[in-house]
Amino acid sequence: MVRPSLSERAVAWWFVAPALLGITLVVVFPLAYSLWLSFTDVNLLRTTGPALELAGMRIPLFRWIGGKNYVQALTDPLYWDSLWRTLYFVAAFVAEATLVGLGMALVLNERFPGRPLMRSLLLIPWSLSRIVVGLLWIGILDFEFGALNGLLHRAGLVDGSIAFFKEGWSALNVLVAVYMWNQAPFVTLLFLAGMQSISDDLYAAAEVDGAGYWRRLWYVTLPALRPIVFLVLVLATVNGFLMLDLIYVLTMGGPGYDTTTISWHGFKTSFTFFKFGPGTAILYTLTGLCLLLTVVYHRLILRRFEPEG
Amino acid sequence: MATRGGSARRRSTGSRIVLYVTVAAVVLWLVAPFAWLFVTSVSYQKHLLARPFSLVPPEVTLDNYRMILGLVRFHAEGQAARILGSMWNSLVVAIIVTVVNLVIGTTAGYAYARFRFPLKTFSLFALLFTRMLPTIVLIPAFFLMFRAFGLQNTLTGLVVAYCSFTLPFTVWIMKAYFETVPADLDKSALVDGCNRFEAYYRVVLPVSGPGLVAAGAFTFMLCWNEFVVAQVLNTKPGTTTLPPVIAGMNGQVNIDYSVIAASGFLGALPAVLLVLIFQKYMVQGLTAGSVKG
Repeated sequence: MVRPSLSERAVAWWFVAPALLGITLVVVFPLAYSLWLSFTDVNLLRTTGPALELAGMRIPLFRWIGGKNYVQALTDPLYWDSLWRTLYFVAAFVAEATLVGLGMALVLNERFPGRPLMRSLLLIPWSLSRIVVGLLWIGILDFEFGALNGLLHRAGLVDGSIAFFKEGWSALNVLVAVYMWNQAPFVTLLFLAGMQSISDDLYAAAEVDGAGYWRRLWYVTLPALRPIVFLVLVLATVNGFLMLDLIYVLTMGGPGYDTTTISWHGFKTSFTFFKFGPGTAILYTLTGLCLLLTVVYHRLILRRFEPEG
Repeated sequence: MATRGGSARRRSTGSRIVLYVTVAAVVLWLVAPFAWLFVTSVSYQKHLLARPFSLVPPEVTLDNYRMILGLVRFHAEGQAARILGSMWNSLVVAIIVTVVNLVIGTTAGYAYARFRFPLKTFSLFALLFTRMLPTIVLIPAFFLMFRAFGLQNTLTGLVVAYCSFTLPFTVWIMKAYFETVPADLDKSALVDGCNRFEAYYRVVLPVSGPGLVAAGAFTFMLCWNEFVVAQVLNTKPGTTTLPPVIAGMNGQVNIDYSVIAASGFLGALPAVLLVLIFQKYMVQGLTAGSVKG
């Protein structure tokens, strides 16, 4: 391409200006303000004090207290407990979503009558609000009226009912599985897109060599999907760290703190106890992690799919 | 044409059975939970509790829907009455955010697909980061800013907040879409005497329906389903959207699950139908927007 002319640059800026201005106002500014808040002694009841005057409105700035909020957040054992729990949650979620997503993609990549219909059905779990996702799994897993408990009882497999949410370890794993149910379809879409770009010749050649289904899967399909696998891992990791709404409907972080993840811990600190200082500090540690994962994601999509960048 | 991934031509009876059983299992896994939500929404709570348990409700009723639509009086009608109002709020917010996204997000997506300009790479990376950002980290800032601007408990506030996580997606999806539209189209429009904006507006946009549908439907879905922001920022009764109202009912012991299921099913329907109708475009738009830099 030739060097862009001056006027083309100007035109380009007119095109992107509204969106970038909007993002500056609704993302960059709040993000910077949150960062600022994490270094102050936010008190929601105090209205006097230093403030940012903007169009006649006063946005309170509170008092700078340095890294105290971070010290407070990081010396709280609950933070570290939540962090380890989050790491387990994310690892289990990423593994389950990737495997189930890949499994469904392999099935949907086969030819069978009704496949187009099934590709539509695939999107149902993904298009539901997580509040509804939680709600419908309550209908299945609830101790009293859950359908699964009803079915197990009728089949004579249990005497009473299974309390899926009573014990911490079980509740945490149910959360993982329910979130996986909601997210795996998107993973399937990405894998299906990858499978469709694999040349038929490769399969034909493998077949001529006498490779059966599993050998074709191992030697043709999976190697070709490698870039997609990396993408899926990164995206699922981010989604795992950010999950919040399902905890709200299903467990509220309990029993005890057994399903309290970092994002739930930050959410509760900020909006149940209204301690915005420590709350934003906790949430900012999460943001740092997401920045790191964005760098990885950025590298992946540039290197694998657009050679010249 | 050769078959993909397997050979349907010479598939043995055994492998065909395995395939169909797997397909059936996947369909069950995808659909059964949502179908059960519908079944519970037309059942009486007492039948859900009955033992032996039955998957087919012995009695079908629309009472749960009548309750949430305010057609019959019951003990929790105060809470149920919020459903319709909050659905309206959800609709208004989702539509406005979608329109804003389609207007300014699409324009930016076009520029990223077609032009080279200073800071392009940097601003694209920034967009990608905002796409991955935890929205909750912004909420304390929104909370204090909206309090200062008087936007707390308003739909305008929600529109502003929702643009923070939808705009980056729209720009990205539309950028990926415009990259599939041949640049010769714009060039010939320029030769014909259009300026850059006219080429975009009169020539490129009219052939970009699939991309617009993908980005629009996805934005609508994200807004319709959003919970945390609305829950925290709009706490005054009557100002919030549907998901917080449903979540609030879920916490009440005096409301039957079957009633909550009815509101959940009703609330899920718009997004599910939208996604099913525009499935093809959404899949194309979203996969392209996720795998391309």
